[in-house]
Amino acid sequence: MRALVRLLARWPASKALRAACVLGLCALTLMALGVVFATPLPVVAAMSVAQGLGVVACLLFGLSIAADVASRRP
Amino acid sequence: MTTPFGALTLVSAAAAALILLHHLVARPALTATVRLRLLLGLAVLPFITAVSSTAFGLHRTTERDFCGSCHVMTTHLRDLEDPTSQGLAARHARSPFTGPTACYTCHADYGLFGYPLTKLTGMAHVWNYYLGGYSGWSLERFHAEVRTAKPYPNANCRQCHSGTLASFSNVKEHVALTDELEQNRVSCASAGCHGVAHPFSKTAEELAGRRRR
Repeated sequence: MRALVRLLARWPASKALRAACVLGLCALTLMALGVVFATPLPVVAAMSVAQGLGVVACLLFGLSIAADVASRRP
Repeated sequence: MTTPFGALTLVSAAAAALILLHHLVARPALTATVRLRLLLGLAVLPFITAVSSTAFGLHRTTERDFCGSCHVMTTHLRDLEDPTSQGLAARHARSPFTGPTACYTCHADYGLFGYPLTKLTGMAHVWNYYLGGYSGWSLERFHAEVRTAKPYPNANCRQCHSGTLASFSNVKEHVALTDELEQNRVSCASAGCHGVAHPFSKTAEELAGRRRR
């Protein structure tokens, strides 16, 4: 728990959020390409790589919000 | 081509992308409103996009033109679409019920784990095509060297043809081969029975039933 608090205290929230946005955009693009092209490689990428990127982006967002909330606590 | 799931994927992805692009360009302070907006753009809308694109992808992988989009499968697809072909697969593909998903209907294994196992096998096909070298093979080489990984299971035929009606049991060959058919030692889709499914891809020996691969 202490390790998490220390990590959150040093967490670069705004940079991580920007990284999350970029990763999220990559994931969304791959998922949309899977629908637009609908051939084996884009469809497989949409159901694997894109979802992995999306999960990482979501985790970065969660950590950044937690860090921001922690930094505002008195 | 675009199904409702495909349309939902595109709409939710576009909405999420707008939110993320706005955040990257405007770089707003992290207020409660911005957090909520990012929750939409990084969690809620991408979740909807992921679920709908997966539903789209799972359906798409059952369509026969998806299977036929790799060049080594183009002759299989052409045969299915040929109204004059007398191949076993082509005759089955004319059914309006199973035709659009003909490859999947016949090759998906029956049973509780049939669906995920079929998808895993499909992933192996993608792997073999892009990383195993099949993409560089000629059609002639593919037809000469590649066969199904395991004998075609008769249980797949029996998903539709139950084998319980008089029209089946009155055929003396069916009665004589009951055990062999049950144990998959004789295939319904073999020379001398109902014929191979994709005859254009077989050697003369295989078509005559002199060699079983």
